[in-house]
Amino acid sequence: MSGKSRRDFLKKSVAIGSVATGLSASTAKAGPKNILSEDRMGVLVDTTACVGCRNCEWACKDAHNLPAGNLDSYEDRKILETKRRPDQTALTVVNEYPHGKNSNLPVDVKVQCMHCDHPACVSACIVGAFSKQENGSVIWDTDMCIGCRYCMAACPFQIPAFEYDKAINPLIMKCDFCFNRTKDGKLPACVNICPVEALTCGPRHELIKIARNRIKRNPNRYVNHILGEYEVGGTSWMYLASKEFKELDFPDLGKNPAPGVSESIQHGIFAYFVPPVSLYALLGGIMWITKRRKELEEEEKI
Amino acid sequence: MKKIFAVIFVLFFTVGTYAQQSPGKDHAKLHINCVSCHTCGLPTKDEPCWVACPREKMITVYLKAEQTDELVIIDQANERFGPVYFSHRIHAQMSVMLGGCGNCHHHNTLEQILKCSKCHEPSRQRENIAILDLKGAYHRQCMECHREWSHETGCKSCHIPISEVKGSHKEESKKQLAGKVHPPVTEPTKIVYETNYEKGKFVTYYHDDHVKNFKLNCIDCHAQESCTKCHDVNNPSSDKLKLVKEKKSLEDHHKKCFSCHAKDDCAKCHLDKQVEQFNHEKRTGWALKKHHINLSCINCHGSKRPYQKLNNQCVSCHKNWKKETFKHYVTGLRLTEPHSELGCEDCHAGNDYSVKPGCNGCHENFVYPKQKPGILVGK
Repeated sequence: MSGKSRRDFLKKSVAIGSVATGLSASTAKAGPKNILSEDRMGVLVDTTACVGCRNCEWACKDAHNLPAGNLDSYEDRKILETKRRPDQTALTVVNEYPHGKNSNLPVDVKVQCMHCDHPACVSACIVGAFSKQENGSVIWDTDMCIGCRYCMAACPFQIPAFEYDKAINPLIMKCDFCFNRTKDGKLPACVNICPVEALTCGPRHELIKIARNRIKRNPNRYVNHILGEYEVGGTSWMYLASKEFKELDFPDLGKNPAPGVSESIQHGIFAYFVPPVSLYALLGGIMWITKRRKELEEEEKI
Repeated sequence: MKKIFAVIFVLFFTVGTYAQQSPGKDHAKLHINCVSCHTCGLPTKDEPCWVACPREKMITVYLKAEQTDELVIIDQANERFGPVYFSHRIHAQMSVMLGGCGNCHHHNTLEQILKCSKCHEPSRQRENIAILDLKGAYHRQCMECHREWSHETGCKSCHIPISEVKGSHKEESKKQLAGKVHPPVTEPTKIVYETNYEKGKFVTYYHDDHVKNFKLNCIDCHAQESCTKCHDVNNPSSDKLKLVKEKKSLEDHHKKCFSCHAKDDCAKCHLDKQVEQFNHEKRTGWALKKHHINLSCINCHGSKRPYQKLNNQCVSCHKNWKKETFKHYVTGLRLTEPHSELGCEDCHAGNDYSVKPGCNGCHENFVYPKQKPGILVGK
């Protein structure tokens, strides 16, 4: 998937080990990628335009070699009566909500990975399988993944899913922004198929401009909020809607990047070698006390 | 040699098509503000710098629905579906209260109706993502109403799958649409709203007064009313119009009235009883006839409210009126030779034109209009 593999991971570990033991590291990696580049891509989801045809669901499955069925079967709207979440069999789903302001049309909301600018899954992944790419997508290396599912716990949008039903080689599954298509210059499958172009794919900064402009021109159609512009430090996928996002089951997450909290606790604890120093100090203390006690006992015997 | 001809032919063709779609060669000289279409001061063919789809204030093509094509075939290359046979005329009739022509043809310049593909690119992967691509633009036009109307979003409600495409579709659609019309929307003359407002429960609204006197078009008030405004959305096949009133906020209720009556107080419309239709003669004693009846109030009374009472002197409005240049036949009566030489006061005593002219100055027992000082002509 990404350039990384288990071999790279082992190489890296060896390199780090060799640095630690004072050997030269000739295979040291280049500097970090420019993951928050100006031109990173994103998608603007205009839920006021979405008609809930679910063609995106079909295209997504088709592009990811998941059992997709016949496209005509997606015309059945009964499935919209229950709320669904993306899972290992469907990386994106559309849910329907009662109408928003000034309209008696239902609101259809496509749900998938938001591809955060500061992804919690990348931070939480203990083997470094997850990465944010320069084009905006958050992807992971299935070969490196050990199936710990920390990413699932870390994700503020509860997106990554796990193939629990597979006994052999179960994988983490989530929207990968069609990385295999975009790297060949194609559009994500869902964006490509959407009949009403409710999904606009382009540079993130341009999408924000477009979104602002739509709100400005149609203040009656939209609430004045671009979800994902600032949420959890910004996301590559952003939403416009005709009603408050909390009514559309979007979590109220604030503007701080999701890994900020966990990382600051973790880094705080481990700063300045506090845990090893205190551990050895404790052990040393116990040793000293035991030794002292023995000495006293021996003195008494004498 | 053949190749050169081919290149010239292609060049000629492309230039030709471009000119046909452009808003006119000299449109810069017309009275249009450049910034209504372009963002930059000096737009060129290569960099037209269009403004992003202004939906308002851009519509210059107003045809009556009856003047438009009955059937429009939208045939864009598609591997799944055949062409869409779009019943244009009946949609045009239905859109009278949904923004009219401009609801779809929203970026028309003068003269030619622009093709959608002029601005909406056929490819989704494109430079200017602020403007929808052609597929998105087409579908949004249709779906925004259709999904409200029938709750259907299935492709087949408009498209014919490629496997079912027949050569006879065009003829069949033509036959089906021939003479098919939306029944004319009947205008109410008077609507009485019973409101909760304590100080004045009744609002009497005379629809035709507003339309005629203020020269309003349907879309001036009914700008965004889709089929569901009148038809039962849950039973679209039913001919009956729905009687259930929409629940609207107080603000929405007043919005349309406020676009003109913003400065009026509540009692202007809210009264404790129904009011009679405005009648100029009853209210002022001065009947509006042929000419004046066609004018809107502000033509005589000015835009200052409340309207001031005017006197009966013609010159108080017709300030540039001169006896020398006045041609009596505009009143519908061409004066015969001796009469045309007379002064106004000779017949119209005291220059009061609101009363019958008198003949007594010269004739005995002559009464207007039994005896006329000229010949009646059409106005």
